[in-house]
Amino acid sequence: MSTADPTDRGHAVEVVDLHRRYGSFEAVRGVSFQVQQGEVLALLGVNGAGKTSVLEVVEGLARADRGSVRILGADPVTERARVRPHLGVLLQSSGLPGDLTVGETLHTWARTLTRPRPVAEALAQVKLSSRAHIRVRSLSGGERRRLDLALALLGRPRVVVLDEPTTGLDPQSRRTVWELVQSQVAGGCAVVLTTHHLEEAERLADRIAVMRAGRIVLTGTQAEIAATQPATIHFTLDDGALPLPPLPAVEVITGPPRVKLHTGALQPTLAALLAWSAERGIDLIGLDARPASLEQAFLAVADSPAGGPSPCRRLTAPTSRSS
Amino acid sequence: MTTVPETLSTNTTGSSALGRIRALTAAETRLLLRNRTAVVNSVLAPLLLVAVTWVLGVTGTQASGLVVTAIGITLVLTTYSNLVSTFVARREEFVLQRMRTGELTDGEILLGSAVPTLMVSLVQIAVVAVGAVVIGDWTAPVDVVLPVLATIGGAALMVLLAAVSTAFTRTAESAQITTMPFVVATTVLSGLYLPLTAFPEAIASAARFLPLTPVVELTRLGLAGQAWDGTAVDTAGAWAQSPLPLTVLAGWVVIGAALARRMFRWAPRR
Repeated sequence: MSTADPTDRGHAVEVVDLHRRYGSFEAVRGVSFQVQQGEVLALLGVNGAGKTSVLEVVEGLARADRGSVRILGADPVTERARVRPHLGVLLQSSGLPGDLTVGETLHTWARTLTRPRPVAEALAQVKLSSRAHIRVRSLSGGERRRLDLALALLGRPRVVVLDEPTTGLDPQSRRTVWELVQSQVAGGCAVVLTTHHLEEAERLADRIAVMRAGRIVLTGTQAEIAATQPATIHFTLDDGALPLPPLPAVEVITGPPRVKLHTGALQPTLAALLAWSAERGIDLIGLDARPASLEQAFLAVADSPAGGPSPCRRLTAPTSRSS
Repeated sequence: MTTVPETLSTNTTGSSALGRIRALTAAETRLLLRNRTAVVNSVLAPLLLVAVTWVLGVTGTQASGLVVTAIGITLVLTTYSNLVSTFVARREEFVLQRMRTGELTDGEILLGSAVPTLMVSLVQIAVVAVGAVVIGDWTAPVDVVLPVLATIGGAALMVLLAAVSTAFTRTAESAQITTMPFVVATTVLSGLYLPLTAFPEAIASAARFLPLTPVVELTRLGLAGQAWDGTAVDTAGAWAQSPLPLTVLAGWVVIGAALARRMFRWAPRR
């Protein structure tokens, strides 16, 4: 939850100033983050933000052009043999031979691993027990993705990297995936995942990092990230001509009678508003006050023009917000 | 270099390389056997070679010559060509990239994927050998070590060159085109169809440095007791002629390994 102490040696995943380029295109421009055991970090960002490019280095499939990645203290490329028995990877695009059955696919993979879990257990985890004798090519998209996930988790990994684990899945398959990820985390796994579903990040992630054009532009807990955007207050007044009271640090988006306010300090604004209405005996019809959602915060930073340098807002503690 | 975190050093007995390759080979063999067309084709092809030789009435065919031809053709048309298609198909389907996420090493993945094709190649050579003995005049080979070395080295080279060829092959279908120059050049200029002495001296000398030529030379030296220029040799003579082709073959294996390491891609181009 709290920001990691940089001297803490317990990082399951540690990425420091990671850079990657394809030819002259710099896909990753200085990304840093850490993940502890039992913690989930969600990397968000529009397509092309560099999420998969970061993950490929974490997975040990590509080298960093600059910076470093450590998985349980070891380099995933140069110390691959040490890292791999503890790393579970679900690729965004992943292929399986269509003419093997689900059971054969898992058995084959299990035989390549140091500490595989029993195949029957893996099948049950992803609710494919009844499909063990089906050829992979006959599976639905959701079943295939669940089989992919079963393979990723087959070696009892302590660090799990999931690149868009639920893209294209039906709600039920998605729920299965979520429950499985949560059970891994409860067992002490560190998880890094990317997703386009903000609901998924809200549901699974302890911390969220939003990437844009190869950089992390926003990072923190879900609440911290949402708090970067103003809260919204809605209400309607009977008397459209009534002037609003002076409210500090409030932006009036639409005036009476249908009022919409943005505020960085929801509670004091609301208190002032309620005091004013009580004093004057005014009805705030349909009063609605809510903090910004993760989605609002995401849309505010993720899709803005990629051009200029944008400062990374590192949110250390939610209490540091000025009131 | 740095201290090993105890979290990584505990409880890792490690899966063995041999065990991992065997797991992959078993799955790949199962996949091959489920592909009926491929199975039928790989048995029919060598039978056809024997049958054509027999029908053409090359009576008095030297059986050893047919086996030399079979080894050369099989290495190029089965081992090399099929592996290019296999590797490319697996790459484009993201199967290779997925296998790379586990404990298998890169070499194990390539070797494991290649084993069924290598076994098919071996079976094809064996079928021709048996056929050749049946229809031709079999004479005891001058030496067996050289042909065995040539076949093993040649097979390793074909795996490596197939890996290299995937770099300029976008789809499994286009493999038929991208492999053609290599297939034609090596088979024509290896002394397989025509003796190298049929070419002008300069071309013949250069051809001896092509990848397949040393394989053909060495197998012919051992099985037929014939040097590349057609002169007959005994066992000592065969070995006396062997250093150049052995060196050329070893050189190609080294070059092939270096190129494969540099050029092989595990995932489709984005």
